[in-house]
Amino acid sequence: MTLKKYQKIKLALVVIISIIFSQSIVFKNFIIPIIVLIISSLILMILRRRVKEIVADERDYIVGGKSALLTIQVYSWAAAIFMFVLYALRDTNPSFEPIAITLAFSTCLLMILYSLIFRFYNQVKFTEKKGKFITLVIVLTIFISIFTLRLFSGEDNWICKQGQWVKHGNPSFSAPTIPCK
Amino acid sequence: METKIKEYRAKNNLTQQELADKVDVRRETIVFLEQGKYNPSLKLAHDVAVALKTTITSLFIFD
Repeated sequence: MTLKKYQKIKLALVVIISIIFSQSIVFKNFIIPIIVLIISSLILMILRRRVKEIVADERDYIVGGKSALLTIQVYSWAAAIFMFVLYALRDTNPSFEPIAITLAFSTCLLMILYSLIFRFYNQVKFTEKKGKFITLVIVLTIFISIFTLRLFSGEDNWICKQGQWVKHGNPSFSAPTIPCK
Repeated sequence: METKIKEYRAKNNLTQQELADKVDVRRETIVFLEQGKYNPSLKLAHDVAVALKTTITSLFIFD
């Protein structure tokens, strides 16, 4: 397979995934996009192996690394600014608070992930501490997953019951202003 | 950085694509190398020098 053909298939898959994702949001079905994403990744992985030309070389990896670093910096700054603004305006609209928390959480997660991967490639990869480092990453991942589940589980929230907003747990924000049906 | 890759490539009757294939990089990387716009890794510099039957110091001239 030629590189051009592979790139055309990749583009077509991106378009198909975008359409499926947008339709899934409309129809509130989140299983189909996950399945499509996994299948597409597998197809791309198999096709990439069949490409006989060089798909990416050392210059691409250097450019990719620099681009990724800049993207992380831009995203982190933008997310931090928006987070502070939204959190400061939480009294005007209570829905701003969860958005601010999500932004803060995703930025922290991105920073932690970047630091871990950077440390791995910078030092750990060449030492005997590799096993310990991977164990630490797994433990950290489990803790973060539990924290994420707790944060987004809706334990502390307002629930609509018989036309009224009822406290569930101890929500940090006031009851929603939208009518409860 | 100045390079003599283009001259040595012509001496060896190689196209940019052929040289790229020999050293496992994309043709664009050879273009950037010839224009002196890319500092290659030591391995790539060595591979290019071997492919062009010369030495690294003859290919790459630093000011």
